[in-house]
Amino acid sequence: MNGRVLKIGALTIAAVAIVFSVVLASRFGRDPALVESPLLGQSAPTLQLELLDGSATFDMADLKGSIVVVNFFASWCLECRKEHADLVATSNAFADRNVRFVQIAYQEDPAATLGYLEDVGVSEATTYLRDDRSRAAIAYGVFGIPETFFIDESGTVVGKIIGEADALILGATLDSIIAGETPGQQTTGDTRQKPDA
Amino acid sequence: MSMSDRVKNSVVGGVIALLAVLVIGLVATNQSPGDRVEQIGSRIKCPVCQGESIADSPARMAMDMMALVEERVAAGASDDVIVDELLGSFTGAVLLDPTVSGSTLLLWLAPLVALIVGVGVIIWWKRHPGEESRNQARAPTNRRLVGGLIVIGGLVLIVGVATVLIQDGAETASGAAEVGVDNLDDVSNETMEAVIAANLDNPEINGMRLALAERYFETGDYRNAFPHFLSVAQSTIATDEEATIALVRLGWMAYDGNGEVETATDLLDQALEISPRSPVALYIKGQVLWCGANNTDDASTVFEEILAQTDLAEDTRSRVESDLALTSTGATCT
Repeated sequence: MNGRVLKIGALTIAAVAIVFSVVLASRFGRDPALVESPLLGQSAPTLQLELLDGSATFDMADLKGSIVVVNFFASWCLECRKEHADLVATSNAFADRNVRFVQIAYQEDPAATLGYLEDVGVSEATTYLRDDRSRAAIAYGVFGIPETFFIDESGTVVGKIIGEADALILGATLDSIIAGETPGQQTTGDTRQKPDA
Repeated sequence: MSMSDRVKNSVVGGVIALLAVLVIGLVATNQSPGDRVEQIGSRIKCPVCQGESIADSPARMAMDMMALVEERVAAGASDDVIVDELLGSFTGAVLLDPTVSGSTLLLWLAPLVALIVGVGVIIWWKRHPGEESRNQARAPTNRRLVGGLIVIGGLVLIVGVATVLIQDGAETASGAAEVGVDNLDDVSNETMEAVIAANLDNPEINGMRLALAERYFETGDYRNAFPHFLSVAQSTIATDEEATIALVRLGWMAYDGNGEVETATDLLDQALEISPRSPVALYIKGQVLWCGANNTDDASTVFEEILAQTDLAEDTRSRVESDLALTSTGATCT
């Protein structure tokens, strides 16, 4: 009887050890960047950042009352280059719908970013900012780029796109926010870290 | 050693231990700001690295996070406040000593389970110093106790695993929200404008252009409809059907919007060069001739040409017949 109890105990431990190992092993490949952002449903970070050309300071709090799209990008990011025309087009198209686009350069020399934007073009309706000390990237919990956040008129983060976004996804997300919906988080593709990071 | 010596030694040992605890406590609570920064930094995982703390990582993000921690320490923020500020944006995935919740529960339960199992084993060995068989009859209760402890430990771990799996499922589900674009009818004009502007080189964009232009046209917004119809009409890759409808709409807008009869007729003739039997092109031309040029004879000719088509839709035939009845009598367009 007692030997049987011990055997059952030993088998239980062995089985649990196996399950334990499998669960832990399965978590090694888990990408924390894909876990839902804790910012969703929270007030957007209020930041003061310099314009990309360094000419003035821009207070993100001034955008409250508008729907705001915050995109983190850099010239070294292939996906960012691919989505750039879509961001410009969507910013222009929604400029009259109380939507403001803010693009924040991520871990890049502002001169390099300015040169890149000269090549690919900008939207007059978009504000381009620098983030020399990564304060905005930290405040938004950026794991890699491109990442795009959506903030409603009340200043609440209501959406996030991880990876490259196109005009249809950007526009449809804005349509849903304008309709009073909460689009949430979606992943469209990979994000990148600076090659030498 | 006498009883009093043992008591004395115990008291001395206790005092030394107490002093040691106090000294360690004092040292721990009087850390320099730099030590605090390092300590906090060592608790936070670098979000862009593999298993390194921000204190150890040379990555730009890690260094910037350390600078932020240093700034917050200098400002007098507590360790927990600083960590919470970072967790507020990054999720618990950046904490190297995770909180007891959700997916981290398993890690915290493991030592507890090990403790229970360990205590069980120790009791077992203490109660069974010799061969198991010799003691079987003597201490069945203790062995049941050991077995029970082991089973309890296993159950606790199973509960932990289940909790992790359930919580992971919830995280995945909540993270899977997507904005669906199943039907262009659900998409705003602004979104369509953005898609078109971002895909000027895409040969398939004419379809969306026409769909958007039709939306504007139907609401009488000729100003916004015009550039899209014009773009399709001038496109070298537009289908005959696309080019025809674009020219017909341009013709109608030229007449209805600006009263330009000649321009309208030219555009409608261009459409008819591409699609000579197009009922819509013929009908609009008949309307422009009748209502714009007051030319009922030519209008009647065009309407008769439409009615000669055998595959005409019934409602179109009915409308054309009605108009022809008027133009053939020289009636004025109203």
